[in-house]
Amino acid sequence: MIEIGRVCIKTAGRDAGLRCVIVDVLDGKFVLIDGETRRRKCNILHLETLKDVIKIKKNASHDEVKKELEKSGVRARETKPKQKTERLKKRRKTPGELRTQKEEKKKLRDLFKRKKEDEVGKGKVEEKKGESLEEKAGLVEEEKKQKSEKENKKPKKKSAKSDKK
Amino acid sequence: MSEPYKRSRTLRRLQSKVPGGRTVLHYKERKPSKAKCGNCGSMLKGVPRERNLKMHKLPKTKKRPERPYGGNLCSRCMRSLIVEKARLQ
Repeated sequence: MIEIGRVCIKTAGRDAGLRCVIVDVLDGKFVLIDGETRRRKCNILHLETLKDVIKIKKNASHDEVKKELEKSGVRARETKPKQKTERLKKRRKTPGELRTQKEEKKKLRDLFKRKKEDEVGKGKVEEKKGESLEEKAGLVEEEKKQKSEKENKKPKKKSAKSDKK
Repeated sequence: MSEPYKRSRTLRRLQSKVPGGRTVLHYKERKPSKAKCGNCGSMLKGVPRERNLKMHKLPKTKKRPERPYGGNLCSRCMRSLIVEKARLQ
């Protein structure tokens, strides 16, 4: 039953329940499989053989297996090779580069500082003026009232005392 | 008299040693029962026995074995089921 081109169903592992074809017989225990499953070495005990046999060569490539399987209506597994993305290696900055970086940062900092100071200063001055004027106006009146009251009280007391005496 | 929830056995008890040297009783919620195979009822391997909060934090691949019917059937029952299906074809 175990021969090259025999269609099987895998019964163990993450590919269990998927169809595959025996591509190579490695020894009495292991075979090489391909198809819906990953192309891998597999124990014979983990395969359930079917009636179908496909005509393929020994060690046939994945594309050949795919073509043959599609005739019987089985879609082989499509694996995309990983695209290699070049990673930029981190390198140390030279002292000159660091110096220029610092200078740029300083320039930016100074710019922002000046702007903030200008904005804050203008706003504060205006607000202060308004507040101070109102407060002054209110305070002046209050002070006047208080003064007048004190002046009124003082002579009364004095007068009362003088009367008693 | 201790509080009712401490008197009942809904919470499991843990004896832990505190840095001061005393042994203190800690009350913790019980773990859920072990996962069982839907067919034969045997204990499933590779399925952690944790409360919901901890299971939420685990990745999906650590919650069940990554094969068809993983986390529902044991491997033996899964294999026999697949073989049966294959032989029917």
